[in-house]
Amino acid sequence: MRPALGLILSLWATVAGAQETLKIAVISLNPDPRYDEAMAYARIETNQASDPLTAAELALADMGMLLDTAGLTVELRSITAADLEGVSAAAAQFAVQGGRYLILDLPADEVDAVVSALGPEGPLSINATAAEDWLRRRCHPRLLHTAASDRMTSDALIQHFVKQRWNRVLVLHGKTSRDLARAESFIEAASRFRLRIADQRAFDLSTNPALREQNNIALLTGNLRDYDVVFVADSFGEYSRYLPFQTALPRPVVGATGLVPLEWHWSLERYGAPQVNSRFETRQELVQRMSWQDWSVWIATRAVLTAEAKSRDRGPAAIETFLRSPDLRLDGSKGAQLSFRSWDGQLRQPILLATTNAVIAIAPLEGYLHRTNTLDSLGVDEPEFSCD
Amino acid sequence: MITFRSFLRSLTIFTAAFFLIPPLPALARETGRIFVSNERSHTVWVFSPEFEHIATIETSRRPRDMKLNGDRTLLYVACGDDDVIDIIDVETLEIVDSIPTGPSPEVFEFSPDESLLYVSNEEDSMLEIIDLEARITIHYVPTGAEPEGVITSEDGSTIYVTSEVADMVHVIEAAAGAVIDNIVVGTRPRRFVLTPTTNELWVSAELSSEIYIIDRASNEITEVLSFLPPGFRPEDVTPVGMTLTKDGSRGYISLGRANHIAVIDGISHEIIDYVLVGRRAWSIALTRDEKLAVVANGLSDDITLIDTESLRPIRSIPVGQVPHTIIIDD
Repeated sequence: MRPALGLILSLWATVAGAQETLKIAVISLNPDPRYDEAMAYARIETNQASDPLTAAELALADMGMLLDTAGLTVELRSITAADLEGVSAAAAQFAVQGGRYLILDLPADEVDAVVSALGPEGPLSINATAAEDWLRRRCHPRLLHTAASDRMTSDALIQHFVKQRWNRVLVLHGKTSRDLARAESFIEAASRFRLRIADQRAFDLSTNPALREQNNIALLTGNLRDYDVVFVADSFGEYSRYLPFQTALPRPVVGATGLVPLEWHWSLERYGAPQVNSRFETRQELVQRMSWQDWSVWIATRAVLTAEAKSRDRGPAAIETFLRSPDLRLDGSKGAQLSFRSWDGQLRQPILLATTNAVIAIAPLEGYLHRTNTLDSLGVDEPEFSCD
Repeated sequence: MITFRSFLRSLTIFTAAFFLIPPLPALARETGRIFVSNERSHTVWVFSPEFEHIATIETSRRPRDMKLNGDRTLLYVACGDDDVIDIIDVETLEIVDSIPTGPSPEVFEFSPDESLLYVSNEEDSMLEIIDLEARITIHYVPTGAEPEGVITSEDGSTIYVTSEVADMVHVIEAAAGAVIDNIVVGTRPRRFVLTPTTNELWVSAELSSEIYIIDRASNEITEVLSFLPPGFRPEDVTPVGMTLTKDGSRGYISLGRANHIAVIDGISHEIIDYVLVGRRAWSIALTRDEKLAVVANGLSDDITLIDTESLRPIRSIPVGQVPHTIIIDD
């Protein structure tokens, strides 16, 4: 649960150092509709809110000695507001105060609005938690993305499907625009690998008998000759958690439950990941696992701090060029060098295919090649990409 | 003599002790045995000089770095999940003692007089200094997050430690127990070697695919080496383990996911050749006659023997799960 904060609350963490002061802010909505508590019936949380401030503070602590060596002082600020208006006002104020980097823990519409309002002269923004493909196609010049796009997580699943020879997919989705976008992105990715979509069906959370084709799992997943796997897009997770083991055919359920494609999962046991998890957990009062959103804020903070501390040229333009270049070679404790794609500002990164307690596979899977960087087998590649 | 011995001991992480010929101790015997620590099966496998598997020693959990003591009678094994360093009797192959450490010890080094142990604790970002006699931690030196590689200078006055997350090398003055300099290097710096004749410190940067050559007099980076074995991409190259010949004329560098080792000229740093080994090549050790290089392959659970003259792999031998370090007692 999100800590109870006032309308706008600022926390400042300062690293002892010398000359320059670098201002970084993390902006969140509270309440954030994506973690709507009303959806959690009987207080069961289907979507646990993340802890972006702890994640950003962890990155700052991790990099503390490097920042000291580079003579950098960092002011890290957490801004929380109740609505778009509050978020926009806070972002504008941060820009006026000379804020350099804005890490956005916001839904896609709010990201788009805030970044549009800030304009090209504003602080550099990093979208940490909105996965929507359309937000990448908006091509904001001062926006990077550390959250993986829907297309990247879809491609990660598709690679696994192809490897497992799960060729026929039943696609289920909720009725929200978020779930529809997720399903569309998945179908787009599936078509590139010529997977067959057995059917595409919307589910309904009610028990309304008139909608039984949509709310009864046996009916929803039945009346089809066959499929190898069920993909479900369900951002609230309330419907999908009842789906496995009840499908009309005994088939695996993936996407929002079962096997979930994620930026991060606490059960990753290689590449220094356990150390990142334990450092994150020990920083918290309420001990909760590091979520993908937390990782995404952590890596966003790490990215800007790495660029600031390691750029040989100290000018802001040169630092941003370095931040956006393949030379950034960021370490996200996933065993690969990470950097931002030049065409859409998206962080290229491995995607974990995780169950509740294990990482089953890490995409790109072995055998998926790419002409320049295998990580670019996930997501929209340069030749296919165009701005809206 | 002491200086010469300590000088040699610090040469590399993996070859540190086994080419020393202790002048005195009566018990020391060159068993010729090869020891391989296996992180995931919590064992140390022991091979005869002919590479016959002769024993499996059950250690504390997650054995990683290993070092022989000066007279080569005891093998120290850092066990990351039980927070101890186990001590194995090289003759009897039994665990005779255990030294408690801080959380998750990974790599360690002795002080030249063997009175102190320097241990990197990757969980709590400290270099821990343990008094070997008293078995207590006498000092902690804060480091950047996830410290890993540790090496001491020949005279013991300086300790170098990498921080994998902060991308830097800490230069620690042993007497003061404090960081006196920091050197910013590439991404995820891992291990060290010291060159015997050119006063260089080499650092492997796993995720930026580089070896940094640092001049130890100035602590300045003088050269950055990169590698590209045939058929691989730069990002596949994840160097970790390194070892040098005694005279420093040749260096062997494991390239991790690129499944090769690079053989380079120790003085000019020019690449001589690449040798194909197993999956995710990490530690490398040389036999005392330097005719064989032995490489631990973390993801194929085997070790590869390389003929250093022809630079061809001779054979691969299965070991336990996730082999980490190789020590040869010859």
